[in-house]
Amino acid sequence: MFDYYLRLALRRCRQSVPMVLLLVLTMAIGIAACMTATTIFRALSGAPVPGVSPYLYVATMDAREAVDKDNPDYKRPDSLLKLADAKALVDAHRAVQQVAVAQSLTPLSDPDGKKSEQAYGLMAYGPVVQTLGVSLRHGRPWTEAEQAANAPVLVIDAHMAQKLFGTEDAVGRSIMLGQRSFRVIGVSAPWKPRVQIFNLAQNGGSVMGQDENFFVPAQAALDAGVGPFIAGECGKDAPVVSFQSAAVAQCRWMETWVRLDTPAQVGDYGRFLAGYADAQHDAGRFVYPPQAKLYGTQAWMTLNHVVPDDVHLNLMLAGGFLLLCLVNVAGLLAARFLRRQGDVAIRRALGASKRDVFVQHLVETGLLGLIGGVLALPLTWLGLWIVRMQPVSYADAARFSPGVFAILFALSVGVGLLVGILPAWRVCRQPPALQIKIA
Amino acid sequence: MRHIIKPLFRHRMMPLLVVLQVALACAIACNALFLLQQKLVPIVTPDGVGNPDRLVVAWNIAPRGQPWPSSRLNQVVSELRAIPGVTSASVAGSFPMETMAQMNGNVLGEGAHPARASAAVYIGTHLRDTLGLKLVAGRDFSATEEAVAYKNIGLDASGPVIITRALADRLFPGGDALGHVVRIGDQPDAGQRTVIGVVEHLMRNKFGQDDREDIDYSLLFPGIPSNWPVPIFAVRSRSAAEADSVLKAVKATITRELGPDMIQGMDPTYESYGSLRDHMLAQSKAAVWLLSGVSLIVLLVTVVGIMGLTSYWVQQRTRQIGIRRALGARRANILRDVQLENLLVVGAGILLGMVLAYAINLWLMHHYELTRLPWTYLPYGAALMLLLGQFAVLSPALRASRVPPVVATRSV
Repeated sequence: MFDYYLRLALRRCRQSVPMVLLLVLTMAIGIAACMTATTIFRALSGAPVPGVSPYLYVATMDAREAVDKDNPDYKRPDSLLKLADAKALVDAHRAVQQVAVAQSLTPLSDPDGKKSEQAYGLMAYGPVVQTLGVSLRHGRPWTEAEQAANAPVLVIDAHMAQKLFGTEDAVGRSIMLGQRSFRVIGVSAPWKPRVQIFNLAQNGGSVMGQDENFFVPAQAALDAGVGPFIAGECGKDAPVVSFQSAAVAQCRWMETWVRLDTPAQVGDYGRFLAGYADAQHDAGRFVYPPQAKLYGTQAWMTLNHVVPDDVHLNLMLAGGFLLLCLVNVAGLLAARFLRRQGDVAIRRALGASKRDVFVQHLVETGLLGLIGGVLALPLTWLGLWIVRMQPVSYADAARFSPGVFAILFALSVGVGLLVGILPAWRVCRQPPALQIKIA
Repeated sequence: MRHIIKPLFRHRMMPLLVVLQVALACAIACNALFLLQQKLVPIVTPDGVGNPDRLVVAWNIAPRGQPWPSSRLNQVVSELRAIPGVTSASVAGSFPMETMAQMNGNVLGEGAHPARASAAVYIGTHLRDTLGLKLVAGRDFSATEEAVAYKNIGLDASGPVIITRALADRLFPGGDALGHVVRIGDQPDAGQRTVIGVVEHLMRNKFGQDDREDIDYSLLFPGIPSNWPVPIFAVRSRSAAEADSVLKAVKATITRELGPDMIQGMDPTYESYGSLRDHMLAQSKAAVWLLSGVSLIVLLVTVVGIMGLTSYWVQQRTRQIGIRRALGARRANILRDVQLENLLVVGAGILLGMVLAYAINLWLMHHYELTRLPWTYLPYGAALMLLLGQFAVLSPALRASRVPPVVATRSV
């Protein structure tokens, strides 16, 4: 029966090509707009580090050690801590895993200084590779003993190993970082969060994540004269430092990230964190009530507006537009079906049940939806291409992914059936006798 | 009238679909146009910069380690001023159209209940000259005022200030702002700045979505912000023809003077003010294109939808129209009836759509940084939709009016 309905639908489509074209195009434009916005939204709003970031939490507190009369209120949670506080939190070992990190931008070069590459990387205190879920291809992460001894060791990613040494397995080689020679003890797979997660307060509106080319123990890097890219918040009386400075002893520049697997652990750690911060406040170090709080990665990104409002607004706009297209197509389909009441009446008189008529019309609209979906494919591609050409910070997120195909297919068939329900129901409702009379 | 309204209730589906379509289109178009208008603000507002093709800007200059001392920056500025063809050179903490470094603050007028405004502060040397701002009252900073040395950035220091006319009107609605005092912030020891000059325009460098009114609220302080990590240099050339060579010389001078102390891995940008402006507005412009495209397609889809539904609706009633013609109705009557019917249905859709538009706006306001949809949008939107509705119904209505009376006698 199904293929008969299908042939019937195809024949009817051929009878009125302009009308069918209009219907299908309207659906295609609606679907394509929605798909374009959804693709970008999906790319930006998913977990920044799949499988890892849902369990990562960042510690925030008002850790200012001097009265700031210009900003007496703690308006937005602050994740920056002094190295000493970050160390204390990591050394407490209260979470499953914990690490304090800060982003750095510095040249890495091979020992003879022939090859030098600017590289972004993380200065870390704690097991950064394990906590952030970075997978190692060669070698090993640094040990607690190496960290305690400020040993000059580092982990680089495969890209950097290729660039500097022409081979991925660079374990055992030396790299100049700042004024010191560091030994490569591990080579990681390229690691990059899908969107920015570190130091959100100061990264100036960048949305897409950054490839981290190296991971280095923070104190060893400071000893070599390499500091964080941005010095963070320094005390009012401290010497003012700006960028790439290792003189950050007076500054809050590290973020503490912890891995917590269960809600109970999250609650426990939250209490531990508040206890630590309150103790510092009671001891007179933190001048303001610390209001310590843990934020999950997702909540932290929402709070800091990492994904621009425009992305959400465009998604809603596209959704509204698709809805409009659906109503429009439903209306046109109703008109199209009701014009053919005569045919339906004859089928009903010959014994077709209401259900048969209903299904027949749904098959037709489903077919139209599918054609719309096929047309929407190049349109979506075009839409994404247009977005990539735009000077927006999230342009890189506008890429076609296999998941998009599945959504597109489901959406177009769903759309086709949805718009068909009302007209099909309307056309099969009238009693056959009346329909024959009308005919 | 009754013969128009009654059938609408008897055959509900067609009119309902039109109402729904118009309501949705109205809600989407109103909000899209509102967003569009906000994106348009920085593009169409005058920025106050005179002869932008002669202005050269060097920015994205960041010192490694510590910020440069003001004396060092001053030295570089005098080097820049010595470049042949340069009439004025500045170093500033923030700059129009450069959104990375911003100084924003709440400023207050005088009196027990002072007027307040959120405004941008530009601190820099000889900025009035370099930017080519047009003084409409008062005077420029004197050489002594320019030589001020701030203890820190300078926001909380007292001294002279030049403000824009828009800000002057806002803070001192009484009229002349010259000689009055602007307070920078709420604190009791906030900086107090005496207005010595008023310029025609100076756009602030924050393009949020809440900047429709305050986009021209700016203040100009003399001097150099101390310990400022990202200084911006600007140079005005004598003529547009010389701008290119001046740009090259500026790049050479800054690279020579400050290059060794700059951060590694990130190069400064040297460009004409025009290209800086184009870059900064590119995103707004792209959004304007997108939103106008969407609005246009929404309206187009709606027109096509109304056309399709009405022509079916007319075709269904061919016989009734024939009867009315036979009973003496003229073509004009039929035409008017169909148009009136469309007016009613579209009108109902618009009413629903306005409520919907407003509800959506309220929801968006609650969740995003959006301002209230001004009610003035609603009548314009309504008029537009009514016109489009009439346009869409024209061809079906004409077809209806051409139904010959003889149809009435057939196929009963």
